[in-house]
Amino acid sequence: MKEQRGMALRLFGLLNGPQTMGRGYFFWIGFLIIITVAYVAPTHLGIKPYKVNEFLVSGFLAASLSLLWGYCGILSLGQAAFFGIGGYTFGILGINMWDDNGNTHIALLSGVALPTLFAAFIGSIMFFARLKGVYIAILMLVLSLLFETFMLQTADPEVYSIGKALLGGSNGLRPASDIPNLSFGWGEAVAEFNGRRIGFYYFVLTLLIVVYLSLRILLNSSFGYLLVAVREDPDRTETFGYDVRLIQLGVFCIAAALAGLAGSLDTARINRVDPELVFGVSANIMVVIWVSVGGRKDLTAAILGAISLEWLFLWLTTTGSPEYATIVMGAILVFVMLIAPEGIFIFVGQWLGKLFSSKVGRQSEDQDTNV
Amino acid sequence: MSIVENSAVPIVETINVFKDFGGVRAIDDLSLSFQTGELHCLIGPNGAGKSTLFKLLMGTERPTSGTIHLNGEDITKSQPFERARKGLGIKFQNMQVYQELSVFQNFFVPLRRHYKPIEMPEIVDGLLRRIHLAGLEGEVVKNLSHGQQQWLSIGMSIALEPTVLLLDEPAAGMGPDETASTAEIIRSLNAGGMTIIVIEHDMNFIRNLNSCTSVLHLGSLFTQGSYQEIENNEDVRNIYLGKG
Repeated sequence: MKEQRGMALRLFGLLNGPQTMGRGYFFWIGFLIIITVAYVAPTHLGIKPYKVNEFLVSGFLAASLSLLWGYCGILSLGQAAFFGIGGYTFGILGINMWDDNGNTHIALLSGVALPTLFAAFIGSIMFFARLKGVYIAILMLVLSLLFETFMLQTADPEVYSIGKALLGGSNGLRPASDIPNLSFGWGEAVAEFNGRRIGFYYFVLTLLIVVYLSLRILLNSSFGYLLVAVREDPDRTETFGYDVRLIQLGVFCIAAALAGLAGSLDTARINRVDPELVFGVSANIMVVIWVSVGGRKDLTAAILGAISLEWLFLWLTTTGSPEYATIVMGAILVFVMLIAPEGIFIFVGQWLGKLFSSKVGRQSEDQDTNV
Repeated sequence: MSIVENSAVPIVETINVFKDFGGVRAIDDLSLSFQTGELHCLIGPNGAGKSTLFKLLMGTERPTSGTIHLNGEDITKSQPFERARKGLGIKFQNMQVYQELSVFQNFFVPLRRHYKPIEMPEIVDGLLRRIHLAGLEGEVVKNLSHGQQQWLSIGMSIALEPTVLLLDEPAAGMGPDETASTAEIIRSLNAGGMTIIVIEHDMNFIRNLNSCTSVLHLGSLFTQGSYQEIENNEDVRNIYLGKG
């Protein structure tokens, strides 16, 4: 019993550290409250899963860019490229393998693995050539746009088909009705998650929490320290004997895996992949906006930024006109850059941190004087 | 016999090194050598190529031509991290400490490759004594004075016990007391056997170190000698005044 408690405390210790905001009990109590609210939201608060499922998927993509840009200082304007590769991979394999397997295990695994492999390839070239800063940002955007351009001209079913899947040009992957839902299990015992239903919501929410906690452990490990060290000063880090190129390549691959996971989930969610939506300029820029507005240097802030901005965007597009919504998003970005350049949620987090620490400080002072 | 031969091999040597940035020649046919255990100062007016030389030695810049040796081994094509692993340590001109982290946490990155977290407190304790920061491991770095931050930066550079330490302006922006302390830190590190090469502008500081001094001018070696010889050299004074 004592041992179990010790282990739990150690695990809790691994989740906390200087690289992630929120260390104290206040934060974790707040975290549990938010999680609980999130779990009961569809049944008790009337939140519609088909609306919010999209926001949850955005959370993975935001975590991906926060890791890469916020923690390691590598801005990629083409993070959606990996999202798109993941999405297409899931769709193509899903269409072809559904009849034989009846599940999407391989499609989902490949939707994560293929973007990671591609990142390993392109990352090796970029980082071993010691490419830096704006060059990586632009190269990644161009790469994503190349994918978009290529996919847009794949309408000819005679040429552009992979097994039963037709790439379909601007219409996206076809036959869309054959893109499977997320399904796990063997033979008859299959759990299927329809992207518009509550099951998908619970599954993705749980997965997001697991990924979030795992990334917290990663970021507060010595690897996390190295990421921040590389962000702050790559040359200095290298003079301590670290091969900075390998660290950059490592985080680039992890970020690609996360983006690929997001892409796979998104394809499963709407049974659709559209080249403009996954590889286009706005797909790429939106990720940068979520993460900048939320706060790129903190995982929690970046994920919250994505979810809340997506929510706001949906609310604006359904109540106003879409053009109006885009302008508001741009205005928010400019406003946040001016007022809280580190990001809204980091700003709020630091403010709350000060509030609680000063309260705790005052309490302990009181205790001191009582003694 | 062989010991005599080995000790004659310079620990760091540049042989006919050139470095061009576009049309500007920053290092012009520079051949310099440093002996094991030496404390050596590099001085020279702005643009003399001092910091560029350090970048070439550390590998963050590559020479246009020429070779660089460490302990007799050609390291011209080695990456900076490989040179660090071979025993080269550096403190660049800017401070390079993590302002938001504690003094102890600042040592985490340099020490992590060699030590387990449980061993670190003892190692850090020993390092802090050597850089006059004993007892400050819990302090957040931004609360330290400018001089203390410089020492911390030196401390991070010696965390891996380099055989050769390059220090670019270790006393920049310090008052007289801190400058004297910095000289003391450097002398005691050198007394412990570390080869140290220092770039500095502050003549009081160099007088304090009282070591072999090389003067660089327009990317080449202008002259070399003891501090007193350099101080009394009319030509050196002239190049600082722009008459060279």
